Amino acid sequence: MSATAWLAVAIFAVAYVLIATEWTHRVTAALGGAVAMLLIGATDAEHAFFSEESGIDWNVIFLLLGMMLIVAVVQRTGAFEFVAIWASKRARGRPFRVMVILVVVTALASAVLDNVTTVLLIAPVTFLVCERLDVPVVPFLIAEAMASNIGGTATLVGDPPNIIIASRSGLTYNDFLVHLAPIVVLLMVVFVGLCRWLFRDAFRYDPERAAAVMRLREADAIRDKRLLAVGLAVLGLVTAAFVLHTALHLEPSVVAIVGGLVLLVLSRLDAEEVVKDVEWPTLVFFAGLFVMVGALVHTGVIGRLATAAADATEDRLLLASMVLLWASALLSAIVDNIPYVATMSPIVSDLVNNAGGLEQGQVLWWSLALGADLGGNATAVGASANVVILGIAARAGKPISFWQFTKYGLVVAAVTVGISTPYLWLRYFVFAG
Amino acid sequence: MRAAELAVPFPTVRPGTPAIEAARLLAGADLPGLVVVDEDGRPRTILAGTQVLRMAVPQYCQDDPALTRVIDEAAADVFHRGIGDRTVADALPREHRELPVVPGDATVLEVAALMARTRTPLVAVVGDDGRMTGAITLDALLDRVLAQ
Repeated sequence: MSATAWLAVAIFAVAYVLIATEWTHRVTAALGGAVAMLLIGATDAEHAFFSEESGIDWNVIFLLLGMMLIVAVVQRTGAFEFVAIWASKRARGRPFRVMVILVVVTALASAVLDNVTTVLLIAPVTFLVCERLDVPVVPFLIAEAMASNIGGTATLVGDPPNIIIASRSGLTYNDFLVHLAPIVVLLMVVFVGLCRWLFRDAFRYDPERAAAVMRLREADAIRDKRLLAVGLAVLGLVTAAFVLHTALHLEPSVVAIVGGLVLLVLSRLDAEEVVKDVEWPTLVFFAGLFVMVGALVHTGVIGRLATAAADATEDRLLLASMVLLWASALLSAIVDNIPYVATMSPIVSDLVNNAGGLEQGQVLWWSLALGADLGGNATAVGASANVVILGIAARAGKPISFWQFTKYGLVVAAVTVGISTPYLWLRYFVFAG
Repeated sequence: MRAAELAVPFPTVRPGTPAIEAARLLAGADLPGLVVVDEDGRPRTILAGTQVLRMAVPQYCQDDPALTRVIDEAAADVFHRGIGDRTVADALPREHRELPVVPGDATVLEVAALMARTRTPLVAVVGDDGRMTGAITLDALLDRVLAQ
């Protein structure tokens, strides 16, 4: 390898450590790494800004931006609060049933919206309902963060790693639905059972407290019916367009950004106010990451790693997919799964090509997605939703410690990744024919 | 006109004062805020009425306005119980802010500029020893300025 390549590896390693340890803000670390890569010549403007293989993945950036715009409008409708409270009332104030309903609502919403937004929406409702029931809120918050990570695994737009995987692999929205949604449904059923056992001390039922939940007036959450109608219609159309995107010949990124802009106009809201809710630092973080990883592609580092991985697993696709699943889960537990998947995607892309193309090798993409998405549940820092829940809880005076989250997270991650193992084996190897 | 001429005696609280007591003081005397003083009677900061309110209103209602609407009237009427047994210190913002304090010889423009800059409707006036001699409210300041 050239000196520039070694230097690029060193810069990448430093930036990765900074992102994982949070010694500096992750945006600073990613941008610093990108700038350093440009300065040492590991990449250049042509590749960093315009190359599909080794530059900023604009499909990912605009898909995220479009979805963030849609979410920024939809969260102002009160629809989410309505559904969560309405559903909690159907549970008649029984704490475990309330938890089941809240985690199912979270998982479903996470499949359509991004995980962080979902937990930001569900957490305030959870505080309200738990206060009314006089049950500890922390188990509910932890369960919701995990449900958002599991539910988000089901679709192309559900979890940022999936967006990166889709863009790099060419897999469609329907591919994600067909290959990941079934296992996610099974995982949710198991997860609900785990919640019953893990949080068994939190389900204290008090009929008087349950009556307090029944007095909540969920219909009042919705003030602007027109906004609700427009928001849900556009979200529905965007989801339909995702499903039909291959027939419509539209990239998911185009669908999302068009949907976001149309909703912004139709909502009649102050665009400047709505745009403030877009997570610009996250988009910049992605851009920095792509430039850094692109520099490793450009200097041949990723190519060497892919070759080494292909040699090690030659003709042993089952071994490769299992190693990828468990290694992804392990690494995603330690570092944020977004930089991990951004780095691994070009390697997996090469491995899939070596395995004979998307038809034969796509199990590797599903291994990466399941490992990275579900592994994120293992620790408090494994996924963005976990970090956000810890922040919300601390601000409300109910802090969740790293280990308090992690002791549950390790169990949930081990069980869900454990169940994914026979799923991949059976579906893509035993019954592949 | 100087700050010392405008200043009037003003109730004070200490960081350890129960927040509910501070709220009663605010309501009982129609005050825009209270001066928080330390053990030596030196002003530490201003406790605005909205800060006490922020403590009483559940965080989830502040994060999500839609949730304030779903709470039934009976529960909404007793939202102040959210203050619990917390103290004035709990209501104060954690980040360091400029002290809304002026010396007795400050001009009305200095007082007004400080109120505008710190967005505080109340400024404490201190003597040479740093102890509080009185306070000026926004109302009193505007009354005097507009009367001229």
